[in-house]
Amino acid sequence: MTPAIWAKAHGATTHFPIALVLASAVFDAAGGVLAGRSVARELHAAGFWTMMVGAAGSIAAVGSGLLMTKGAILGHDALRMHHLFVWPAFGLLISVATWRTLAGRRMTRPMLGGYLLAVAVLAALITAAGYYGGELMMAR
Amino acid sequence: MFAIATIAGGCALASALGSAHVLRRAALRTSHQQPTPEVWFESPSPSSPTLVEEGRTLFLNNCAHCHGIDATGDEGPDLHGLEVSDRYIANQVTRGIKGEMPSFAKKLHREEITRLTAYLHSLE
Repeated sequence: MTPAIWAKAHGATTHFPIALVLASAVFDAAGGVLAGRSVARELHAAGFWTMMVGAAGSIAAVGSGLLMTKGAILGHDALRMHHLFVWPAFGLLISVATWRTLAGRRMTRPMLGGYLLAVAVLAALITAAGYYGGELMMAR
Repeated sequence: MFAIATIAGGCALASALGSAHVLRRAALRTSHQQPTPEVWFESPSPSSPTLVEEGRTLFLNNCAHCHGIDATGDEGPDLHGLEVSDRYIANQVTRGIKGEMPSFAKKLHREEITRLTAYLHSLE
């Protein structure tokens, strides 16, 4: 396949994990704030599934990105900045999704606090990676 | 639970970086261009009005023939607003591009390429 196909595939797949992880952070934070109410459980369920689908989507996004750049780990300039945020974000996203899967519904209040902190860092990394990804598109 | 999650994240990252390595090697086999080496910390490019002016002179003597006297492109491409690193420019200049651009390795020294790069980065 031509590199242009992978560029399109990266564009098509990369926005799902960005949107879903940020949505997951909002759902779980809202669930934490509204703890004790019946809606909190539904918010955490939404947070769980958006995180799972986001993590699964990130594999497609990273894979298409690697194929598009022919295996560039860092690159230069805006691509380099994009990658400096992408790699920690990807590792943290898979860790967080695994943690959430293992924890299931047994999340205690301190665990939820730690989880939300990790998701906040993840959201910041993904936002920065997305920003530099946008800069790359603007530079073309 | 935390340890398993950390291991999972590490494995995912290692798989991605390993795949990158394989893709990079595969791309190398099919391309005549060598990739520029990647480093975690890049030093900022040196630039000063004198350096840019000297770079412009070098550009006029060596590059303007193909890239145009104002670097807006002629036979070669427009060089304004380059979004590439100093190392990338240096590699292109010294190695050339097969069938498109000659190598200037024997004509330009390292310091001259630094001046030329400063000039190219000054073009907006």
